[in-house]
Parts: sequence; structure tokens; C-alpha cells
Amino acid sequence: MSKFLKALSAGACLLGTVSFSHAMDPAAGKTVYKKCAACHAVGDGAANKVGPQLNDIFGRAAGSVDGFKYSKAMMNSGIVWEEENLAEYLAAPRKFLKGTRMAFAGLKKEEDIANVLAYLKTFDPDVADESALTTPEVDDDGQASTKIASAETDEVAPAIADLEAAMSKGLFGLGRQATPSEVAAWDVKVMPDGRGLPVGSGSVFDGEELFVEQCAACHGDFAEGVDNWPKLAGGEGTLADEDPLKTVGSYWPYLSTVWDYVHRSMPFGYAGTLSDDDTYAIVAYILYSNDIVDDEFVLSNENFLDVEMPNADGFIVDDRPETEYGQWRTDPCMENCKGSVEITMRATVLDVTPEESQ
Amino acid sequence: MLKMFRGSESAPDVSRRRFLTTSLVSGAALAAGSSTVRAEGDPAILELKDWASFTGDGVDASPYGLPIDFESDVVRRNVEWLTADTISSINFTPIHALDGTITPQGCAFERHHSGAIELPKEEYRLMINGLVDQPLVFTYDDLERFPRENHVYFCECAANTGMEWAGAQLNGVQFTHGMIHNMEYSGVPLRILLQEAGLSAASDLSNKWVFFEGADASSNGRTIPLEKALDDVLVAFKANGEALRKEHGYPVRIVVPGWEGNLWIKWLRRIEVTDAPVESREETSKYTDTLEDGTSRKWTWVMDAKSVITSPSPQMPIKHGPGPMVISGLAWSGHGRITRVDVSKDGGISWETARLGTTQGDSKALTRFYLDTTWDGEEMLLQARAIDETGYVQPTKDQLREVRGLNSIYHNNCIQTWHVKKDGTAENVEVS
Repeated sequence: MSKFLKALSAGACLLGTVSFSHAMDPAAGKTVYKKCAACHAVGDGAANKVGPQLNDIFGRAAGSVDGFKYSKAMMNSGIVWEEENLAEYLAAPRKFLKGTRMAFAGLKKEEDIANVLAYLKTFDPDVADESALTTPEVDDDGQASTKIASAETDEVAPAIADLEAAMSKGLFGLGRQATPSEVAAWDVKVMPDGRGLPVGSGSVFDGEELFVEQCAACHGDFAEGVDNWPKLAGGEGTLADEDPLKTVGSYWPYLSTVWDYVHRSMPFGYAGTLSDDDTYAIVAYILYSNDIVDDEFVLSNENFLDVEMPNADGFIVDDRPETEYGQWRTDPCMENCKGSVEITMRATVLDVTPEESQ
Repeated sequence: MLKMFRGSESAPDVSRRRFLTTSLVSGAALAAGSSTVRAEGDPAILELKDWASFTGDGVDASPYGLPIDFESDVVRRNVEWLTADTISSINFTPIHALDGTITPQGCAFERHHSGAIELPKEEYRLMINGLVDQPLVFTYDDLERFPRENHVYFCECAANTGMEWAGAQLNGVQFTHGMIHNMEYSGVPLRILLQEAGLSAASDLSNKWVFFEGADASSNGRTIPLEKALDDVLVAFKANGEALRKEHGYPVRIVVPGWEGNLWIKWLRRIEVTDAPVESREETSKYTDTLEDGTSRKWTWVMDAKSVITSPSPQMPIKHGPGPMVISGLAWSGHGRITRVDVSKDGGISWETARLGTTQGDSKALTRFYLDTTWDGEEMLLQARAIDETGYVQPTKDQLREVRGLNSIYHNNCIQTWHVKKDGTAENVEVS
């Protein structure tokens, strides 16, 4: 990173173009950083984890840490990180940079953002001094008083000020109304008719790369499945066979289910991190692996419902009341119910029962 | 006068000599399997035992107690070949070794899709949204301020006994029938929470649905008709009097009485009223039942009447000779109460009605049955057959196969057969 850019960002800070007015408290920021620490290391010897390491972040070109695999969006963003754009990014990552892999929902409080940036500055020698200049109140006493203030705010804030939510109007008046942002954060379901799908698209081509990278360890390069992990492709026409192979192609009736599941639950052990476009691409690749689309296909919210799932008509609603209950709600036989009884199969022949010993 | 010894330190020589002497006298009795009783009596009585002389543990030795070491084999067990990874897997309740009806939480089966998470109450939030008058968020403390109820219900995985479709496979009732537990739940009826959010927005309630979703990484979600949600579904936070275990959804899970366990979303974070089923992964690609012609049943939520003999069974051989014995087992139905259980010793040729345990749980709870009988020392083909309050009679495996074919996985509620041999051991078998 050029010294010029670093100087510029430090200068921006000095000039006070950053809009937040809260005092910046690295100690409070350390607490806020716990939300980041699962994915981002910082400090001596920090290595890339799920996210890149954050030493010397100020003045760093976005997407430039060696050995970290960034989203295309981040690589091509042209961003140079400084206080102001980091603040915007941390407030709403996906809004600030569409296509970012960072799954973090964002820090809602300006104070938290200011504090976490102050904390990060302590790992950036080039800006650490300037930071101290702009926030001269960050001495021991200052930290203590800021902490108390922030603790008090935390106690009363969530339901009233920050969330702008109203009390329940129900019979008991318990709970509070959910904010639109909260509903948006959790209600990510996609319905069979496509309701809930975000605007976006992804190609088979991009999907293949993502699949190999993020899914193939369990599902195989061609979605054929590894060991006991689910097979996602193949099995067409096997449902009436003795050992049917149930895959997205041979069994799943709705494409919405694939999108919804990949988006919310995959990759296994790192769920909820796929961007909307990446999800479209991976789903496109799974369709391609099942010969449902060709290799030029690009799946989007626009053509989503045009995809025909081979087993869409393969399901009936539970018919046990008609096919079973009637004939089994009878007075059972008690004597001479059959002539003789033979043993036709024994579990010990198979020998698949776990041993008794621990 | 008897010489007293202090336990094993000084005892071996003397007791060994006495044993040898005694065995000459009562060799026949020993061979028949009775305990090592000497001429003058049973060492368990005659000897001064450590526990009768030394003091035991003080209070607080175990602030939260676990079963005594002697019972360390009564634990959940996994069948490794079933799944790729224990993070997304299932284990089995040791029902062979339990009695009564309540399953202790510590040995109640677990089923996770992305592992058992640790979600602190302070960070717990329950959202209700969708076709409601006001989308609401509750904290854990909010939930404890609503009127609550206590009910005992069984929770059975739809895949319980699923490995037995094609034939007798696993040699133990823990493995064939252990994807079940039965607990007393404390919680708020879901209808109260839905009413708090208001259902005017849903207008016609008869064609609406409710989607439940968990807070874990799998975010497992299932849809049920609103009608069921307003009937007996509980938002539960305690089981058997104490907080739910993390493996069962701490701090809050949904309880869907009588319906398959996959619907009982753990770590419940969101409830949405919808105008159609979400058709999530777990209600399309899984938990659907493929019939012989390749079409599949969906929305097969109810667990039909079922029973099984837990003792004797392959893990619980008969350890005594001919004479009085208790045949014991469990019965349950997702349609209501169990009204009768019949037991056959001859593979279904003749049946006798068992005695239902005196402590009856709620409707849709486990019922214990006993057949107090006499064993003649001969082979038996033991079966149990449950009948519920709708008159439904538990079918045989052949009856099920006739309707469904061989490719089903879930909802196998067939009559189970144990082949008890003359030596008292038992094996999982299929009979004609």
C-alpha cells in the first residue's frame, strides 16, 4: 500500500470527515470485536481464517491480503480501506458491497463501529498515533467512563431507541414488534412459487468453480456424493426400483427447496455465508449436474420458475386414512390367527449391530 | 459366631475357601444359575460390606448427579454406518434398560442436522411473523410470563425402525426402536403466542400454515397446518422439570404432539404464518415416503400406533430359568391414547392381552405394558400389538409392505418379533 494513500486516509480522519460523533474507545472496541473474531484474526501472527487477517487494514486496498480468496466483488471493488468506508461497510456489508462473501449482518450502533475501528487502529502503527490525536480522551479514565455509559445504554436501548419497535398490542402486551430489518434478517425462506427469491443470478460456469471449492469435499466434483454424504445428481428413473437413488434431479419436486437450503444451510459447517449470486450459481451447477440445464445456463430470479423439475408430479398427499386406516381399524384376531410360523430372517446373519462395549 | 471381614482386602482367602466348600454341597443350585449361596447363607448378607461399614459420599459430592457407575451401559448409542458424520446424525435411547414411561433427558435420543449448539437464554429471541397482525419478538423471559401448561408426549423420529423395512437388521431394541423419548414438557401453547401476534391478517384459518425454524446452522424448518398449531402444539422450555438439554433444543423447542420428531424444531427462533407450505428440504427430499410405483407420500406427519417389547429383547436376555417372569414393553400412538396391548409368544398365532402400567401419560404419550406370565423354558417368538383409541390395530410388516412396497424408510410401525431361545437369549427376527 502506498504511503500516499495511507497518509490520505489518516488525513481524512484528522479532518473529521467521519460523521459519527461518539468517542472512540479501543477497549470497548475489543468487546465489539468478539463478533468479528470468529472469522478475522488480528494482532501478532494473525493469519487468514474464514476472513482475511486485519492487521494494517487502514490504507489497505480491498482484496489484497496474500493467500485469501476474496469474492470477485471485493477484488474488483477498487476500494482502499479507510475509516469512513470501513464504517459504512461494517454498518451493512452486503448493502455497501453487493456480492461480498462476508456473511456478517452488520453493526447497528455507530458507537460500536467507532469503537471497533479504534480497536483495529491499535494494530495499524501508521494510523495509531493520529487516532490518539483525534480521540485524546482515550486515556484510562476516559475508557472507564465510556464503558459505563455504554453498559447503561445497552440495558435500556434495544427495545426502544435502537430498534424503534413498539410494544405488543396483543392481549398480554408481551414482547415487542419486530422491525422490518429484523424480519428481513431471519425470514429468508423461498417458497415454491418463487416468493422470497432475491434479485440476482449465477451461471453454471461460476457455479462449477464455487461447487468444487465449497461443496465437492462432501458432494463430489460432479455432485455424485462422497462416502455417506448426500448424492445430489443422478438416479433419474430409479424411484420405483429396489434401491432408489433420490437426488435433486431424480426426486426433489421444487427448485425453491434447493435454493433455500443451499442459501440457509450450506456449506456444512459454514452456513449462511453464500451470497445470493453465488447461491444462484451453485444451484445452476446442481441443475447442470442433473442434465436439467445446459452448460451455458444462467439461473436468475427471472427464469427461476421456468426450470422444470423432473419429479415435480411425483408426490401425493398422505393417503394413509384411505389406504390403511380403514382396513386396520378392525377387531384383531386372538386365537388360531395363522396355521404355522416360520422364521424368515435373522438380524445376526447381517451382523451390522454395534458391539456392546463402549 | 460368624467372623466378620472388612470387604475385599481381607476377605478373598477365607471367602474363596468357603465358596469351594459350599460349592460341593450346593453344586446343583449353582449350576442352575442361582447366586453363590453358602451353606449358612448368602455372603451378600453374611459379610459385612464396605457400604455397610464405611461412610459414603457427602452431599455436594455431585452437585448435579449422574447415574451410578454400575449403570454406565445405559447410554445413548450411535450406529456409525448410518450417517457420514455425528454432527448430522442420530443416536438411540436405551429403551431396553428403562422402565416406566418417562425418558431421562440425559439418555433421550439426539438428532442434529448441524450439531447441538449452545444458545444462551440472554441471546434467545423468538420471532413470529408472516400473516399476523403484528410481527413480534419475544425474549426468553417474555415466554415465561405467558400462561403455561405441562404435558407428557412421546417424540418419535419418523425413521424409527426404518432400517428394518427390508428385513431384520439390528439386533437390539435400542437400535430398532430407540429413536423415541417421552418427556413431561412445560411450555406455552402456541395458540396463545399466535393470538398475541393476532390472526386477523390470516383471515380464513382453515387453509393457512405455520412454518417453524431453528437457530442452528442447519436452520431446519418445517411447515404444519395452522389448525394443528392452534390445537395442541407447545412452545416448550422445560422437560421433566428442568431446562431442556442443549441436544434437545435449549432454551426453547417446539413440541408437536403425536407427529414425527423432525417437526419438533429445536432452538426455535422463528414462527411464520403462511398461506402455503414452504416445502423445505426436510419436507420434500426427506421425510417423504416412496411407494412401490415410485410416487411418494408427503405430509405424512402422524405417527401411527406402535408397540415393542423392551424386555426380554436381544439386549435384555432372560437371566433366570423357567418360572415367573415379566414381559415388558412400550406402546404409543400419534392419534391419541393406547387402549390395549396384546402379546403373542408364538409369532402371532395366539394373543393375550397385557396389563397397562398404572401411570398413564397424556394422550400421545408412551404407555408401559406388562404381561405377568410364566416361562416354560421353551423358545418363544415374542410380539406386541398396540390398539389405540381410534380402534387402529398395529399392522404386521407384511401388511405395511402390501400397501407401501419395500422402499419406504419412514413410518415403519410394524409388529416386531423377538426370537427368545431356550438359553434365554433373544434375537431380532422376521417371521412368516
